Amino acid sequence: MYTLLHGFYKYMVQKDEYCVLILGLDNAGKTTYLEATKTKFTKKYKAMNPNRITTTVGLNIGKIDVDGVRLNFWDLGGQQELQSLWDKYYAECHAVIYIVDSSDRERISESKETFDRMIASEHLSGVPLLVLANKQDIPDCMGVHTVKPIFNQNAHLIGARDIMLMAISALTGDGVDEGIRWLVDCIKRNSIDRPARNHDDNL
Amino acid sequence: MGGLFSYFRGLLGAREMRILILGLDGAGKTTILYKLQVGEVVTTIPTIGFNVEQVTYKNLKFQVWDLGGQTSIRPYWRCYYGNTDAIIYVVDSADRDRIGISKDELVHMLREEELANAILVVLANKQDMAGCLTVAEVHQALGLDALRDRTFQIFKTSAVRGEGLDQAMDWLSNALQARK
Repeated sequence: MYTLLHGFYKYMVQKDEYCVLILGLDNAGKTTYLEATKTKFTKKYKAMNPNRITTTVGLNIGKIDVDGVRLNFWDLGGQQELQSLWDKYYAECHAVIYIVDSSDRERISESKETFDRMIASEHLSGVPLLVLANKQDIPDCMGVHTVKPIFNQNAHLIGARDIMLMAISALTGDGVDEGIRWLVDCIKRNSIDRPARNHDDNL
Repeated sequence: MGGLFSYFRGLLGAREMRILILGLDGAGKTTILYKLQVGEVVTTIPTIGFNVEQVTYKNLKFQVWDLGGQTSIRPYWRCYYGNTDAIIYVVDSADRDRIGISKDELVHMLREEELANAILVVLANKQDMAGCLTVAEVHQALGLDALRDRTFQIFKTSAVRGEGLDQAMDWLSNALQARK
């Protein structure tokens, strides 16, 4: 009887869990973005000082609860050498956030090529993509109108996926909110194709 | 009020963080421990049992345990797992033959309930040796992509040259503070 009630209680309070990959070139601001997101959606969360965030070689994780679902973030290292490790995570993720350094004009084409290589993977077919033009706090950076046309080339690779490009500043937190809410809507809509993680494992 | 309280608690000194240094024998664990503590490279012999030292890094106090890594004493690692805040897992990047064993020990260790909340730092040590594994190779060889629910970071280090240890400790102290 206890098990039954306990199971029922768990069923009622359990949240659907989805996994979100945060990718992009090194120094795009992925870890800073993760910290900003955690700060926005977690009460009393004390974010790490952005000055102390170093190059990621490994994995940073984060959990937030938003609109009745739980998002698990995987923030991976972006250096060239580490990009070969990204595809290990593709099959299990429910969405990808791709971060672009809008202030780095020299590497924007490299970022675009890396993006193309990523979305060409069959394991990511149908996965919603959120592209974030980060570092909008830096004066003279590229705005949405410059970045968008670059990432809209090769529409055939994107196919029928949900894709959105937004301007944000992970440092100030501007635009972080809107992006996550858009993404959650897409993930929910897509959950027939990519069902939530451990949806009924724990029962 | 809460800020005031934590300010005073900070003055009194927070709880010492408990850190384990683990890895196969000959990976360089003891050298790393004493490099962190006294800043010098000491001559070491294979550790049977353990070394424990208090290490202060940027006003943070750590109690660092260096456990012997030989096959016969690895089963005793688990006796030290309780209350561990972080694990520093040392890999000999030049030892391609035994990286598989190192992976098995790591996987085995991370399954332990007691370590579920511990932060993992992997040190790809002995980067001064020619032909050693790169960071991406260590990542793959240790099967770290299977870790989905734990923050971890890999650092290239050379304990004898003292390279990479500062970055690793910087990151670790930030990660430990952010988690509180």
